[in-house]
Order: sequence, then structure tokens, then C-alpha cells
Amino acid sequence: MSGDQTVICRCEEITLKEIKETVERFQCSSREVKLRTRAGMGPCGGRTCRCMIDRLVEQLGGPKISNDVSLSYRPPVRPVSFGILGGEPK
Amino acid sequence: MIDLVIVGAGPAGLGAAISAAEYGLEVCVLDEFVKPGGRLLGQLHEEPDGKWVNGIAEAQKLYYRALQLGVKIKCGVSVYDIAKLESGWCVYTTDQIYETECLLLATGASETPIPVPGWTLPGVMSIGAAQVMGNVHRVKPGEKGIIIGVNVLSVAIARELQLCGVHIESILLPQSSFVSGDSAHPEKMMESLLRLTHLAPSPLIRFGGKWVNPKIGARLYPRNGFKMWGIPIQLRKTALEILGEYQVEGVRIADISATGEVVPGTEKVLSADFVCIAGGLTPMSELASVAGCSFRYIPELGGHIPIHNECMQTNLKGLYVAGNITGVESAKVARAQGTVAGLSVARELHAIKQRADEIIDIAKKEVIDTRRNALIQFQAGIEREREELYDKGNNVFEEKISV
Repeated sequence: MSGDQTVICRCEEITLKEIKETVERFQCSSREVKLRTRAGMGPCGGRTCRCMIDRLVEQLGGPKISNDVSLSYRPPVRPVSFGILGGEPK
Repeated sequence: MIDLVIVGAGPAGLGAAISAAEYGLEVCVLDEFVKPGGRLLGQLHEEPDGKWVNGIAEAQKLYYRALQLGVKIKCGVSVYDIAKLESGWCVYTTDQIYETECLLLATGASETPIPVPGWTLPGVMSIGAAQVMGNVHRVKPGEKGIIIGVNVLSVAIARELQLCGVHIESILLPQSSFVSGDSAHPEKMMESLLRLTHLAPSPLIRFGGKWVNPKIGARLYPRNGFKMWGIPIQLRKTALEILGEYQVEGVRIADISATGEVVPGTEKVLSADFVCIAGGLTPMSELASVAGCSFRYIPELGGHIPIHNECMQTNLKGLYVAGNITGVESAKVARAQGTVAGLSVARELHAIKQRADEIIDIAKKEVIDTRRNALIQFQAGIEREREELYDKGNNVFEEKISV
């Protein structure tokens, strides 16, 4: 297996190659990489690949990692059932 | 309405629960793991004075002390959202919704794996997962393991796995690439490893740690590595790919130069039935971000840190942080920070009748002393970065409060 085929986002099965090509083609931020490829948008909420995507984009010449959290967190921050979200007793 | 809800039952969360409950506050601690103790549960090591530290026993002590003080502790409960109320905070959990005057986030840190070709094969896990399997669940992750990533955490956990009866074939570096950063660089990793040498059993290594310059160390580093507790630590070898048809069968490795380039013609395959990836730790700040905290990016502390002052208050009223969410450090520092946070909450809720500032100052000093005496320094420059953060943090804090 070549390094480029390495999966970065396991939930959405996005490879290093896809992320590299996206950054090179659009000269974009990690947020834009996420929106274009779905990397970090799977059920784990980016818990596994978030840091990796930020670092990759920085290494490939995109914006430097700053004080702002570029890949924003949205509730629910853990997978929960619709029942729990709707207030159904356990 | 409860006085204080704490997210995370690790050393910081339980430490805070104890100090707040000692002043009569009604405290509830939530943790998503099935047992209290957080990362303490995985710890087992020998201190330089020969005493063994058993994290499970430490966790038990904190847990029973908290129960004794009437703290409610709920495990197996995840917090999935928090929201600011007119006065206090609303905490949404998989169990129920809590309303609380003050909220402490003691969520700890999460691992940052390094993607290596083949890392999605069954039998590949993070180093922390192997630690939990061995030390918490008493299940061997495999018989023969290879650890990719040489750092303070991976060497300490390799030793724990060895104590569980698992053979560690090698600890080596990930391949230099976009994704591995410094972790593939022998000199940088030598620097990181030198902070661990006082734990090594060999007096030679211990002595070496005091004078070896990382540059020279990486260049003179023996091609076959040196051994700590009989485990080969190989800063001059790199993992190119994890191999296996249906599960891990081995790792393809090669020699590397002092600057990290693969030496042609040195490739070979090491067999193994499991592989651990040790990429490091980063503060778990999801809930702080959802709450609307301001952040500062500090690589020495592990990544994005919610801005807070030395009393562990964030820039949002009634919201506190303690432990690894404020920067990756040892469990003892986390515990001391928890004590400060618990006391600060007690002061905010007027539960400390006398000398509150003085009591908190003593607890703050304890954090600094504990940090200075820490056995394991996860990153160089923690103290300096902390001082800078608190200088700036206090400014931000005053600005926000004055608005």
C-alpha cells in the first residue's frame, strides 16, 4: 500500500491523496477541506482525524494552526440516540 | 439546582469534587467510562525511590473519599451538550439533564494517532487502548507487539505491557511524512526521550540523559537501538507499513539516518500480532468549545487550550477547567489543579467563610510545586508556557469581566 492511499478520516474513508489534492487545488483551510471532502464529518465527529487534518493543511502550505479552533465542534459532541435527544426516559 | 457538576472522574475531577464537598457544596461527577479514575486506572510504574505507583489503588482512594463526603458519582454517562443559563449551566447527558450553579470541565486529553499505511487493519490500536486493555480490563492486546512512536508515553506503557506478560518486539519511529511531523525525526525524539532517562533502570542511561546533546545523541545512536527493561528502543529505524491480510501480521521497517531519511537496501519485515501507534495527547476541549470559551494554541501543552486563570476559571462565568484539558501533564498535577478548581468554586458560591484567598493561594502553589517535581515531563517548556498563558489569561479575563 502506498502512503498516499493511507486513510486519514476513517469514518468517511478519506485518503491522504484526496486531502493533498484538495489542498493543492484549492489552496484552502482545514475547514474547507472538511466541507469539500467530508473528512472529519463522520460519526466520531472528527475525534480521530481533526488534529491530523489541521497539521496536514499547515504542512501543505495552507493557513497555519492559530488560536481559533478551525474545525468547529457542534453538539451533540457524542453520538446519542434520537430518543435521548427528544428527552425520552432511559 | 446543584452547586457543582463536574465532567470527568479522573484525578482532576475527583480532586475538585473532594475539595468542593469539604466546604459543604452539593457535587455531582459524571464520567463516560464505566469506572471512576480516568487515566489513573492505566498507571503502574516504579518511582525512583523504588516505590510502585498503582493508579487503580490511587483512583479507589479518591473515589471513596468523594463518596464519604456525599459526592454523587455517575459512570457510563456521556455529556453531549452544555448551555449557559441566566444563572448557571445546563448539562445535557445520556442519563438526564442537570442544572448547576457552576460547571467544571475535567475531560482530560485524547490521543492523536499518526496514520501509518495499514493502520486500519484489525490488531492496530492506539497506545492508550493497549494500556486500558492490559491494566484496566486485564486482557492482553496480543502476544507480540510493535510500538510505532517513541515518546514518554509509549516507553512508559511498553513497560506496563511487559509487566502484563506481553512481549514488545520494538519501539520505533513512524516514517517521515506530512502526517508524522517531528515524531519521525530522530533528533527531536531523542530530545523527548532524554526527559525520561531518570526513569530508566540503567545508571548509564540515567547518566547519559544529563549530558547528551540531542543532535549528537541521534547521530551516535546505535543502529540497533538501546534497551530499557529489555525493550529495544530504536530511534534509527522507521515503520514503513503495517502488513497483514485480515489482521496484523507484521511491520515493514527500514533503517533511517539521523535526520530521518530511509537508508536504501535496509528494509525488512518484523512479525507481530498487534501494533500500537503512539502519536501523543491533545486536550479534549469539545465542551469548552461548544460553551464558547476562547482558546489559545500552545503546542507545548498539547494543542488548543481553553483560556483560564490560575484559579482555573475560564472567561465564562461559572465555568471552570482542570486537569489535562488545560494542558497535558501528569496525574499528580491534574489532581492539584482539581483541588484549586474545587476551592475556587467554593469561594464563588461563598462556601469558604474565612481566608478564602489564602487557602486558594496555598493550593495554587501546590500545583506549581507538583509540576516542578513531576516524574514525567510530557513536553519541554511546560512551566514557561503556563506562566505566559496565565499572564495573558488574566488580561483576557479582566477585559471580559469588565464588559
